[in-house]
Amino acid sequence: MNLAEYMANMDTIGIGLWITGFMLLLIIIGVRVAFAAAIAGFAGLLWVFTAKYGFERGLMISIQMAGTIPHSKVSSLALSLIPTFILIGYLAYYAGLTKALFEAAKRWVGWLPGGMGVATVFSTAGFAAVSGASVATSAVFARIAIPEMLRLGYDKRFAAGVVAAGGTLASLIPPSAILVIYAIIVEQDVGALLMAGFLPGLVSALIYGGLVVFLATTRKDFGPPVRGFTWKQRFESVPGALPIFAVVGIIIVCIYGGVGTPTEAGSLGAFIILLMALRKGMRWKELRSSLMETTKLSVMIFSIIWGVLLYVRFLGFADLPGAFSDWLTSLEMSPMMILIMILLSYAVLGMFMDAIGMLLLTLPVVYPAIIALNGGEGVTAADSAFGISGVGVSIWFGIIVVKMAELCLITPPIGLNCFVVAGVRPEVTVQDVFKGVKPFFVADLLTIAVLIALPGIVLWLPGLMGFT
Amino acid sequence: MPSSTSIFEDDSKLSRADRAYFRLESALNLLGGIIIFLLVFLATTNVLGRWLFNMSVSGYIDWVEQSMAFIAFLGIAYTKRLGGHIRMDILVSHLRGRWLWFTELVSVLLMLLVTLVLIYGSSLHFWRAYTLGDSSLDIDLPIWPAKLVVPVALTVLALRLMLQIWGYARAFRENAEQPVGIPLIEDAAAVAAKEAESVKEDSDQALY
Repeated sequence: MNLAEYMANMDTIGIGLWITGFMLLLIIIGVRVAFAAAIAGFAGLLWVFTAKYGFERGLMISIQMAGTIPHSKVSSLALSLIPTFILIGYLAYYAGLTKALFEAAKRWVGWLPGGMGVATVFSTAGFAAVSGASVATSAVFARIAIPEMLRLGYDKRFAAGVVAAGGTLASLIPPSAILVIYAIIVEQDVGALLMAGFLPGLVSALIYGGLVVFLATTRKDFGPPVRGFTWKQRFESVPGALPIFAVVGIIIVCIYGGVGTPTEAGSLGAFIILLMALRKGMRWKELRSSLMETTKLSVMIFSIIWGVLLYVRFLGFADLPGAFSDWLTSLEMSPMMILIMILLSYAVLGMFMDAIGMLLLTLPVVYPAIIALNGGEGVTAADSAFGISGVGVSIWFGIIVVKMAELCLITPPIGLNCFVVAGVRPEVTVQDVFKGVKPFFVADLLTIAVLIALPGIVLWLPGLMGFT
Repeated sequence: MPSSTSIFEDDSKLSRADRAYFRLESALNLLGGIIIFLLVFLATTNVLGRWLFNMSVSGYIDWVEQSMAFIAFLGIAYTKRLGGHIRMDILVSHLRGRWLWFTELVSVLLMLLVTLVLIYGSSLHFWRAYTLGDSSLDIDLPIWPAKLVVPVALTVLALRLMLQIWGYARAFRENAEQPVGIPLIEDAAAVAAKEAESVKEDSDQALY
């Protein structure tokens, strides 16, 4: 039997495995993720249709099929949310929010033990949430918060660690582009995911804050609280930081109250931040730069989306996800153990790959398996393996996996946030920062454990919206 | 969060072609940005109109859906030129000299191949919509312009890929240390240093 016959006679699962292996090879040799997925997807379609109809007809069918995907997959109302969220991020950078936010946080929570650390946690959380950019948030706050903390006698490693870790709070509190991408890939409601991220994001920030207070009370010479602000001074600091609350608030009210679509909420948020930035002196040069960067990032995300969906189109013929689900559910291991193993593999993968690319590439195969593991899409909470309904699991898993992906920003070897902080502050080394984030890393593991043990934290708000 | 990528320049034909072409790519990318800006205005008007005057923009959903292809594709070559499409560089970042240029060359050739396939496929997709006169559901906007932007933008990308093939082939032939016209790989520390630098510049301009 020659190669052509062998290929023509292979079963679809076999084709799926070969093509997926080919895609991984392309990714390893450094082909851009979007294109690696598109190449693999097209090759897969060509293989399947050539086996069925012969090469010439097979080629034509696959070209036609592949050619419709880029346009049809991006022309969706749900995806229009992504550029608005990204634009908010770039404009927020120019809107003078960072210093105002830090000042307000300092005046309101500075009196706590380790007060400057707590203030840094909350202000990074707020700015990270609105800008959606972990790495940039750490870079900005490394300049604002670290010098003040050092001046007050805070430990250098701790000061660097809190800024690096604070940036990771970007992805759960709305607006969060990565949760939107997750929702679209798994065909879940975007609003439900955005709402679901709110409480876990808040819990993460509170756990960070609690950790700082704990460290400050148990360690000697940790760093003094900042006292002496009057209530008048506190309230005076609020207006500058208000746009942050306005953006988060608008998104929550629009989606939760059902008075606007997510895109409308994102646009309104961008509009408010734009006005703020204009007031702070943003002109065409800065606006142009924001628009250029927003487009670039949007194009990057959309390219991976259509590239991966081309591969998913092929998977539809190969049923690899089905085979993977069957294999996982047949394992003699408790579903919870399997879930934890999957999450651990995400932690490993996240060390080498950007969160968005990692999620988009793996979810088409992993997500159906998670649903199957729980007992299927329509399963009720009572009959399910995790004690959560099918809809609930799709939301819950999304939040946990995104939290997991963010964790990789503060772990070696890549840990971009840590490198950034060290890059901004010449007086701290990368090793200092990695040492400083250790307690926060432990806190994050704790948060993930809490979210796994108490899915209610994730599912309460979406449940109130009817997603149960 | 402005970012930049290191791309070496000199006065060779390749570098000049690269820079000239980059102007076209930048213009297209900016056009994409302006469409995002208009989208934000449209959606804001729509929601405020509904809240305040109980009126919404006619054909809002059609406009948004039709604008998406422009947003997603106009900047695709610009993004490629700046190395903005993400990838895993754990292996290639360890390669040096000819090995590196060869791997990159293979990678870009494969990208060009699939881009050409998609140009053909998406042109057929456009042509069907154009000849059949397809239009959107609500206010009958013609669909073909949004479908046409895909093959057009991919063609711009294909030319960029050809320029990069030229760049990598030249780097391979000359075993170049500092090749022109192609984005270079940066490790986490370099990316971080750049991010730090951009923050500094901006705060110096007193934007806070």
